[in-house]
Amino acid sequence: MGNPLGKNTTLLTLLPVDPCIMGRRKKIVQECEKLMDKPEQIRNIAIAAHVDHGKTTLSDNLLAGAGMISDETAGQQLAMDTKEDEQERGITIDAANVSMTHEWEGENHLINLIDTPGHVDFGGDVTRAMRAVDGALVVVDAVEGAMPQTETVLRQALREGVKPALFINKVDRLINELQEGPEEMQKRLVDVISDVNELIRGMTEEKDYDWTVSVEDGTVAFGSALYKWGVSMPSMEETGISFGDIMELERGGDRQELHERTPLSDVVLDMVAEHFPNPLDAQPRRIPTVWRGDSESDLARQMREVDDDGEVVFMATDISMDPHAGEIATGRLFSGTIRKGQELYVSGTAGKNRVQSVGVFMGGEREELDRGVPAGNIAAVTGLRDAIAGSTVSSVEMTPFESIEHISEPVITKSVEAERMDDLPKLIQTLQQVAKEDPTIRIEINEDTGEHLISGQGELHLEVITQRIRDNQGIPVRTGEPIVVYREQVQGESHEVEGVSPNRHNKFYITAEPLSQDIVDSIKLGEISMDMPELERREALQEAGMDKDTSQNVEHIHGTNILIDDTKGIQHLNETMELVIEGLEEALDDGPLAAEPVQGTLLRLHDARLHEDTIHRGPAQVIPATRDAVHRSLIAGQVKLLEPIQNVRIDVASEYMGSASGEIQGRRGRVDDMYQEGDLMVIEGIAPVEEMIGFSSDIRSATEGRASWNTENAGFRVLSDNLQREKIMEIRERKGMKLELSQAIDYI
Amino acid sequence: MLTFIGLGLYDERSVTVEGREALADADRAFAEFYTSHLVGATVEELEAYHDIDIEVRDRAGVEQDPGAILDAAEDEHVAFLTAGDTMISTTHVDLRLRAEDRGIETRLIHGVTAQSAASGLTGLQNYRFGKAVTLPFPYVHGGDPVPKSVVDSLEANRELGLHTLVYLDIKVDWEGRRGVEVDGDQYMTADYAAELFAEHWDGDALGVAVCRAGSPDPVVAADRLSALAERDFGDPLHMLIIPGEVHHVEADALSALGGAPEELFDEH
Ligand SMILES: Nc1nc2c(ncn2[C@@H]2O[C@H](COP(=O)(O)OP(=O)(O)OP(=O)(O)O)[C@@H](O)[C@H]2O)c(=O)[nH]1
Ligand SMILES: [Mg+2]
Repeated sequence: MGNPLGKNTTLLTLLPVDPCIMGRRKKIVQECEKLMDKPEQIRNIAIAAHVDHGKTTLSDNLLAGAGMISDETAGQQLAMDTKEDEQERGITIDAANVSMTHEWEGENHLINLIDTPGHVDFGGDVTRAMRAVDGALVVVDAVEGAMPQTETVLRQALREGVKPALFINKVDRLINELQEGPEEMQKRLVDVISDVNELIRGMTEEKDYDWTVSVEDGTVAFGSALYKWGVSMPSMEETGISFGDIMELERGGDRQELHERTPLSDVVLDMVAEHFPNPLDAQPRRIPTVWRGDSESDLARQMREVDDDGEVVFMATDISMDPHAGEIATGRLFSGTIRKGQELYVSGTAGKNRVQSVGVFMGGEREELDRGVPAGNIAAVTGLRDAIAGSTVSSVEMTPFESIEHISEPVITKSVEAERMDDLPKLIQTLQQVAKEDPTIRIEINEDTGEHLISGQGELHLEVITQRIRDNQGIPVRTGEPIVVYREQVQGESHEVEGVSPNRHNKFYITAEPLSQDIVDSIKLGEISMDMPELERREALQEAGMDKDTSQNVEHIHGTNILIDDTKGIQHLNETMELVIEGLEEALDDGPLAAEPVQGTLLRLHDARLHEDTIHRGPAQVIPATRDAVHRSLIAGQVKLLEPIQNVRIDVASEYMGSASGEIQGRRGRVDDMYQEGDLMVIEGIAPVEEMIGFSSDIRSATEGRASWNTENAGFRVLSDNLQREKIMEIRERKGMKLELSQAIDYI
Repeated sequence: MLTFIGLGLYDERSVTVEGREALADADRAFAEFYTSHLVGATVEELEAYHDIDIEVRDRAGVEQDPGAILDAAEDEHVAFLTAGDTMISTTHVDLRLRAEDRGIETRLIHGVTAQSAASGLTGLQNYRFGKAVTLPFPYVHGGDPVPKSVVDSLEANRELGLHTLVYLDIKVDWEGRRGVEVDGDQYMTADYAAELFAEHWDGDALGVAVCRAGSPDPVVAADRLSALAERDFGDPLHMLIIPGEVHHVEADALSALGGAPEELFDEH
């Protein structure tokens, strides 16, 4: 998520005024400017990891190494966590950009870095950051090892064609806390590497490159971000430091010496410069995976060649609000040079936006550059008022980039209401801004009741947003209890149902059946959409398991539902289809059970009878007819209510294993696996999101605080039969719907 | 007993004598004005003239929920009124069938319909009309401004040398579509329709605007569609005819009654 409501407290205001750094900073800015034009010397990278594995602490090291913050404060300062709430909560919430320079093999390099949040609720930020970069520095805590979010961030990176490298952090803890000997330690590091490689291999099976990491290649480094030292195979050769030396110095508390002999920033930045691709290497590979335009076109060539004289092609990956500059769109410039005063197209909107200023992020502070920013860089642009996170911004009209899909849909909703009537317009405006900046949020504005709904990835996500509305925007709001979001889905194939228009002159014949999980996932990932050329869509559908005939008749995709037109030669159906689709969408948005969204359903239009004259097959006829037919086909396919579920992982001391697994089982959950890892037991399972509300304090008391736990949204699951009716009625009551179900719903 | 009565083209006096008598005889009267509309009389004027209360039903009240009309017709004499003729350019045969289904006796009293005026006022021979079409407001369907089916019918008619009567959309109590708001009632004018055809079909083709048929001051205007698009024909209701092959007497009528420029027929 961007910085929707945050005061853009900048790095420099947090720093003690250090004239030496101020001066150095200016020099660095000049240095960066020089390097911007040399794509061979640019690296765009993201730091990504499981929550708390040390991304921001590592970023601090790199900033200090580059002379952007003072060496002493690095590691405690968390310079990239600039927001008040980030500092209070001790976690990163918004992805943060920073540029720095680093000399490697006698040449200076410009490193544009994005520090991403690790908490699963803010995963959308990671997804979007991956579009902007070419390399992902994956950080893994040596003690915890690869965790659920490690897998997720790797998947996010590899899906975007972003190359990974590994930094194993917190090695000091192995030495000092766990008192491990050289062998144990080595084994642990090797285990982490092989776990990570197994993940990478699984995710790149179909690729023709090998992106696994290895110590020998120098794509793995280890160290301690907190104590600012690090090593890699090449660095050990260069400095001559041995594992034995490291253990001795760590144990002896001579960390300063360790830092001086083998500074983390040098080791990591060397690895970045050596092993991550520069834009010239990366763009020819990445463009075809993120852009479906004509690969033979000039535009495609300009993007492949990182042509700074080409058309401007910019993808906004982050929108944030600055109290002075207004909205800032940050993103990757794939081609051209973006400059103040340019009039640029923004995908999905009509007309053009005028660029007001262009700059880069220096240590968290935006530095405007009148000369503009050339292709291959990450730029911060103001004036693009129509842009949202995910917009394609360009000097010519073009096929937009693939949308950046975050696989996890919002699962939890809270109502927000302004306490004072006067704040109503401001609240609506703020909510709209939030939606623009964070596509993983869904906002429903209800001007009639004033009770708006925010849906997000988890409790923390909603809490942060509402707190920012209160504290940063100064709007006192009342919020409701969190409620989970449900779905409706057919369980089997329906018989053919007939939908009749009110004037009875038009009829539609429809069936419903469930879609396979593969197809649903591909739609969610944007690998199948109505925006892509028909032929490609057909292929993608067939690949996901749809039969050929069906794939040729796809008429519409709405959410994760597909409409197939199996009719043949029906006169006037073409010009009626728009209305059919409208009726269908209405029916799917408000399912027949509890007006919750329908998912994963394939609807087939088999036949239609239409009135001769347009007027008697207008919206008043066709929309109710199809809406009704769709609902009845869903019921005939035994539509049921689905609830969101989470994967749960608990790491706990073995004596508390029983009480911890009881916490999952007692929540309508299921324990799938229990195994030993080090001296801890790991419990893995799933549980409904609804039951997980409040889990935090329960597990703490059940294990006397000796458990750490992680959850990750894992889609939706059919609610058990004995709860269906009760839950449906509960939702209907909350929504003010009538408390009886259609006669035909006799299976619930 | 359910009697369908066509009220004719314009005002409370456009009904036939038979229709008026049937209405006088009725115990209750229902009406719908969403398919067409009497522009020369309000419901109150109709009620006063015929000395009966008229319940105006909206579309849902006729199509989705005709129960009230049919229940009443079970044991009383009920009149169901529309402008024009109740069965021409409507779908009320459905209502009649539902009544028959319930064993209710039904009866039809014709009214003068636009089709008759279109032919009568313009001098275009009724034998020579092909399939009629309705041109809907583009916002209603969100598709091509002139739907393909309209163009198809029009061209099929012309292929056979036949004229096409184009009914123009009216929107009364628009129930709306997502994202489309309409203020008040809307009647498509002949110049607007001519403009749509001129832009999306053929501006040089001949068109005939027929406005306020059945009123004391009907207007007939024949010209190229692009020229008709520039004119203002005043109050509703309007129709548009797109002639096919024009017979010489028809040409004379269009010149004399519709002011068609001579050179338009030289080509024919
Ligand atoms: N012992 C030890 N602690 C570390 C090390 N690196 C980070 N930490 C601590 O781990 C905690 C989390 O560090 P952060 O840098 O905020 O972690 P993060 O990955 O940025 O966290 P999120 O952004 O919230 O996901 C802090 O308390 C750090 O001081 C390390 O190398 N050794
Ligand atoms: Mg962080």
